[in-house]
Amino acid sequence: MTAPAQTLIQGAPKARPGRRRWATLLGLVPFFLAAFLFMLLPMAFLVAGSFQDVNGNLTTQNYADLSQNFIVDAYITSIRVSLATAVAGGVFGFLLAYAVILGGLPHFLRTALMTFSGVASNFAGIPLALAFIFTLGHVGFLTLFLRDTLGIDIWAHGFNLYSEIGLDFTYMYFQFPLMVLIMAPAIDGLRQDWREASANLGATSGQYWRHIALPILTPTLLGTMILLFGNSFGAQATAYALTAGQVNLVTLVISDQMSGDVLHNVGLGYALAVGMVAIMAVAITLYTILQRRSERWLR
Amino acid sequence: MSIVPVAGFTPDATLLAAAQKEGTLNIIAIPTDWCGYGPMITAFAGATGLKINSITPDAGSGDELTAITSNKTNAGPQAPDVIDVGYSFGAQAVSQGLLQPYKVATWSTIDPKTVDPNGYWYGDYYGVLSFAVNTSVIKDVPTDWKDLLKPEYAHSVALAGDPTASNQAIQSVEASALGNGGTLDNAQAGLDFFKQLQQAGNFVPTVGGQGTLASGETPILITWNYLAQGYADKLAGNPAIKVVIPATGKFGGIYVQGISAYAPHPNAAKLWEEYLYSDAGQLGWLAGYCYPTRYADLVSRSVIPQALSAKLPDVSGAVFASAAQLAAAKTLITGNWKSEVGVSVATAAP
Repeated sequence: MTAPAQTLIQGAPKARPGRRRWATLLGLVPFFLAAFLFMLLPMAFLVAGSFQDVNGNLTTQNYADLSQNFIVDAYITSIRVSLATAVAGGVFGFLLAYAVILGGLPHFLRTALMTFSGVASNFAGIPLALAFIFTLGHVGFLTLFLRDTLGIDIWAHGFNLYSEIGLDFTYMYFQFPLMVLIMAPAIDGLRQDWREASANLGATSGQYWRHIALPILTPTLLGTMILLFGNSFGAQATAYALTAGQVNLVTLVISDQMSGDVLHNVGLGYALAVGMVAIMAVAITLYTILQRRSERWLR
Repeated sequence: MSIVPVAGFTPDATLLAAAQKEGTLNIIAIPTDWCGYGPMITAFAGATGLKINSITPDAGSGDELTAITSNKTNAGPQAPDVIDVGYSFGAQAVSQGLLQPYKVATWSTIDPKTVDPNGYWYGDYYGVLSFAVNTSVIKDVPTDWKDLLKPEYAHSVALAGDPTASNQAIQSVEASALGNGGTLDNAQAGLDFFKQLQQAGNFVPTVGGQGTLASGETPILITWNYLAQGYADKLAGNPAIKVVIPATGKFGGIYVQGISAYAPHPNAAKLWEEYLYSDAGQLGWLAGYCYPTRYADLVSRSVIPQALSAKLPDVSGAVFASAAQLAAAKTLITGNWKSEVGVSVATAAP
């Protein structure tokens, strides 16, 4: 009597019969269609366009042009700004999320922070630049408040909104909320009993963090920071409106080529974009390597 | 749809019928508050019964050429019929084969210096660079380029765009060359001027606009007179804006019209051009504080209402750069702006 005996056997459930697999694949079609139309096809156009010059003839001059000083400088500056805001936004966002979730604070603070983060993580572009100008500019309301009421003149002390540091500051506005939103579920997953168990076994807070909490959180932390990196790397409108292109970023060089009134070498714009894709690919590869190492003990 | 005729515009009957058969006109990069275009579009639509489809009003001249190129085989609503681009883009569009020639009925009265003799593109309006000054912040209004360097204007002066991307900003730099001892052939004096402005701490390196002008962040904004006068009207005294045309260095900037070689509605496009170059269209631009290219003809026939004349700024003596001079200045300024005037990471501008 094998049928009842089978139900007692523990182990992997029976594999899905063949005819069910088609239904599953059909459900995936919309996703693959969207990925093809909105990611692969545009990428193909980008690559194809990068090999054309202003009149449509084939050329590799666009890639040769990438070695120009100001373009290399643009890539370096973009990477620097993105790294700075990814790490700073990541750390700050993580600490904030930890504070409201596991820090023993009133529950309404968590709700408030999540709601704010949902809005702020999408608030970018010209409105964000203007908001910062009207708040922290030379006659921004916060600048004036600090100067007239508290006697602190931030501009006289070297603060400059219209600089790379000012731009980093502005980017942080949408970076750290994104971190908060994504880390919240991961931090929720840190069970209270693990903390108690480690305390029972004599671990200090530092040891708990080093050996238990951080290893569990690291994959999510790293992944989100890569996301923040990409988010910042691709930002254009905020940087343009705030610094009028004074901070040399790749996205601004691309927009100069594609839609500026003055320069107009579309092929170079495409080549620059392919360069950005290459950099993101490197970033994601690095992330995958780091993630595998950090996940090793989970398997 | 009922036709509301417009004084000063008598459309040719055959052209009107052909255009009405097409039914729509696709225009691109035309903000309604630029040079009085808003009322002009409404008047044209009312006079002809055509539907006007306005594509991306905030686009730049480069976008307009790209729109034609990308829509060569597409006759849908994304393909522009007519373009209105910066002066140097006319020749570029012709070299890329993007325009079809057309000479409007009033062609002979258009200022011949502003048109392509073969009729591919034709100057439509021009303005001069001016200072839009927020007088509630700036008590002592500057009158010339050199004044901007005065210490009382610390953190006050801004451009209306990025000089490596915006037509307006780059021509602002060229114009400042004229006020700083330079010539139209050499815009280096302009770069030097802005470097001085930056070092004096007077330059605010952000994109200035109506908002930053009104808030006092960029109380002196270098922009076209028609935009400055438009801001003054819109803000209506809150705060009060004074538009100053610099005493030396009056730099005129012309925009040009063209019909796309791939226009989905060529007859509607031609009718639009006839309207723009009719007295009605020219006065429409004048109402937006832009000088139309048939201005001399309008003046000689005394068709400009006195009330309108009174509001126009004095642009006598304005200079216009040739295409070659514009191209040379463009290369110089876009190439050297970031290295000579750009904000560097190490030093925070005071």
